Amino acid sequence: MESHLTDNTFLARWISGDLTPEELETFKKTKDYPIYKKINDASQTLDAPLYNKLELFEKIQHENAIQELIAKPKVIKLIPNWAYGVAASIVLAFGVFYFMNGQTHFETDFSEQLAITLPDFSKVQLNANSQLDYKSRQWENNRELTLNGEAFFDVEKGTSFKVNTTEGTIEVLGTEFNITARDNYFEVQCFEGKVKVISSATNNEAILTQGKAFRIVNNNAEVWDFILDEPNWLQGESTFNKTPLSEVMTSLENQFEIVFDKSKIDVNKRFTGSFTHSDIKLALKTVFAPMDISYAAKGKNTILLVNSIK
Amino acid sequence: MSEKTKSVCDEKTYEWIYNNYSQTLRNFIYYKCGDTQQAEDIVQNAFVKLWNNCSKIILGKAKSYLYTISKNEFLNEVAHKKIQLEHQVYLAKGSTNESPEFLLEEQEFAIKLKRVIANLPEKQREVFLLSRIDKKKYSEISEIVGITIKAVEKRMSQALITLREQIGNI
Repeated sequence: MESHLTDNTFLARWISGDLTPEELETFKKTKDYPIYKKINDASQTLDAPLYNKLELFEKIQHENAIQELIAKPKVIKLIPNWAYGVAASIVLAFGVFYFMNGQTHFETDFSEQLAITLPDFSKVQLNANSQLDYKSRQWENNRELTLNGEAFFDVEKGTSFKVNTTEGTIEVLGTEFNITARDNYFEVQCFEGKVKVISSATNNEAILTQGKAFRIVNNNAEVWDFILDEPNWLQGESTFNKTPLSEVMTSLENQFEIVFDKSKIDVNKRFTGSFTHSDIKLALKTVFAPMDISYAAKGKNTILLVNSIK
Repeated sequence: MSEKTKSVCDEKTYEWIYNNYSQTLRNFIYYKCGDTQQAEDIVQNAFVKLWNNCSKIILGKAKSYLYTISKNEFLNEVAHKKIQLEHQVYLAKGSTNESPEFLLEEQEFAIKLKRVIANLPEKQREVFLLSRIDKKKYSEISEIVGITIKAVEKRMSQALITLREQIGNI
């Protein structure tokens, strides 16, 4: 048997020129040598089909450009991976605390309104620039809320329902009523059922029935009647009944995110009427024209008020 | 070119890689599948992938990355397709002083050789052609195919024996 058939790397070494001179000499004498030589010579004249190297590269670059447009830009991580874990833990920790506490907080910004359904399906409409807090845990046994601002309540029947404000406390058993409680202003309107109002400033106590309203102005309690099914502000209009101008202006400020310069007018005048929430020019006109007050823009969002000269 | 400092994301480096590796890569896949269009598609995809992952691949690994990607894609695409290799036949250099009979004989032999090469088992064919056409050393072939040099030599020898058997006597 010839060595090129028994040694399984012999021919490979012959091709690469790694045979010893003796091995090569012996191989050349075999009858197979000429044909191997011919195969080798002929195979070296073969070539793979031509290909357009440049064209293919252009295709690749084109494809790369497309991919880069589609894909996100290459990013270098500024925030290490572990930071996400830490952040998640903090969020989780806060979340757990939040749920343990059961405190629920809602607030509206300028010209916003918010409809809230309480756990017992009582409904609250929160007017602009107001905050509402309550504890959702064991709500059925302890229906108590804290309000700062203006809200309309439609209370489902149940245990005592209490709204605490800095200006006073309102306690009811299933009813509908509107509260306005801001710094130094306190007003409650009862639309249905019976409401008990306790003013914290004067310790005045009043029981309101349907269509009765109550307010504290300069530490004096006032009670009046009204005919409405629900507060007008739910329909995009604020209505006032002999309300001190200061409160009307606060309401305007909350709806339109403006500030009044009140230094030149008497804010204790009373206003009866309403203004729309949808048109600031019309709203200003409807409030100030009957009051004989002129107004002019003064800087960004500030409106200067002066008494009209007769 | 310094292999440690150059980033594959650098366009010049990328082009350098293409210019140095694309042809053998394309031929290598062609030897496997016998379809230039498919081979070029695979090369194109491999280079696009290299570009997309350029920040993760160092220059020294780019070549083996390209071969790995291409081989995998080839395996995914090709289901034992009967292949037909087409080789350009170099007309022998300085053929003027050869007799017409000799030339004809040479051509006939080349055609016969092409046919038997196409019929070689894929493993033998790719080694044989990388060596004979692309003039790659066994060490380079071992790197491309992913086998030892000894295994390359065995496949090379086996390829020659198979060719010799198929071609018969002349």
